[in-house]
Amino acid sequence: MPEDSDWEAYKVPPTRTPVSERTTSVPNPVAFFQTVFNYVIDAPVTFVREWIERQQAKNKYYYYHQKFRRVPDLSECLEGDYLCFFEAEAQWRRDRMVDQEIVEIVRERLGACKQREGPNQFQNCAKEAELLAQVTKAYQDRYGDLGVHGNARTCLMKQKHRMMEERKAQANASQ
Amino acid sequence: MAAMSLLLRAAAAWGARRAASGAAGGFRLPWLAGAARLPGTVAPVRHSSGHGKRMFIIKATSFYDTRFLNLLRFYIFLTGIPVALFITYVNIFIGESELAEIPEGYIPDYWEYYKHPISRWIARYFLDPPEKNYEKEMALLDVEAKKTEMRLMELEARRLMRHRGDGPWYHYETPDKNLIDNSMKSTPDN
Repeated sequence: MPEDSDWEAYKVPPTRTPVSERTTSVPNPVAFFQTVFNYVIDAPVTFVREWIERQQAKNKYYYYHQKFRRVPDLSECLEGDYLCFFEAEAQWRRDRMVDQEIVEIVRERLGACKQREGPNQFQNCAKEAELLAQVTKAYQDRYGDLGVHGNARTCLMKQKHRMMEERKAQANASQ
Repeated sequence: MAAMSLLLRAAAAWGARRAASGAAGGFRLPWLAGAARLPGTVAPVRHSSGHGKRMFIIKATSFYDTRFLNLLRFYIFLTGIPVALFITYVNIFIGESELAEIPEGYIPDYWEYYKHPISRWIARYFLDPPEKNYEKEMALLDVEAKKTEMRLMELEARRLMRHRGDGPWYHYETPDKNLIDNSMKSTPDN
């Protein structure tokens, strides 16, 4: 079964093809192929699909996205409190997965925009491109070079180093 | 295989020589009507219409290969087809669940976070809730943390008692001082 896809997320603007007036009396062959496709392929497939959906509508049930409670961060854990470390680590991993999905969604939006605009993509997709650049830079700053064994502790150390660099840069700039 | 082809070639040569001697002697074997040829060569010969001469084609055995493939197909389809039919039935008549917002005040059970009905069924009846797993891991960590703490405290206590000597450990039994015989030191002239 394919993934849930939301057609409304990537809104394609309506086509602006002008209506052409007929100048010949020869019927459009495309209409013939369209009716053939309709009767041979479209109608049976739609019928089967709707029959299946009627069977499935008899017992409807739902699934949810799990919401996790926020627990104290790794920076709020006392030293030696291994339970706090464990919960903070689990929360950090979930947050990293969420951030990965966010980057993926922004990338897909840019891809959809490029597909939609075609030759105008460099002008019309500037906002999406800018958003993707910012999001990937932020992701790289936070989770970037931690490696495959990166955990909450290494990420916290990286954040500490970033803050030190920032402070040094500010001190150098103010001199 | 090589011996087989050599044998074939020798048989063909012998047959050709026999046919040649037969032609020279005048008596033609009816199935070699025409000049003597190696088997497989085309000659204007009268056979039953449409099928051509029946040949006994010698090739390597495919008995074991076909037997293996038949058995493979049999055993794969033996459980494969019922499983495929069951999964098709579930997908058509039960169908996947829809995504919904969690209603107010409702806490979903742990299997209601899965989409496919078979995944939900497996999660409900075979797997433990992830909260249980989480708590088990935390319990293990807790026990190990307490053990570590106890061991460190014990080492510290041993060190201090050995050093200060005022604790219940590190007492070594010495004989009673009233048992010491001081008679050899009691007078100055011993």
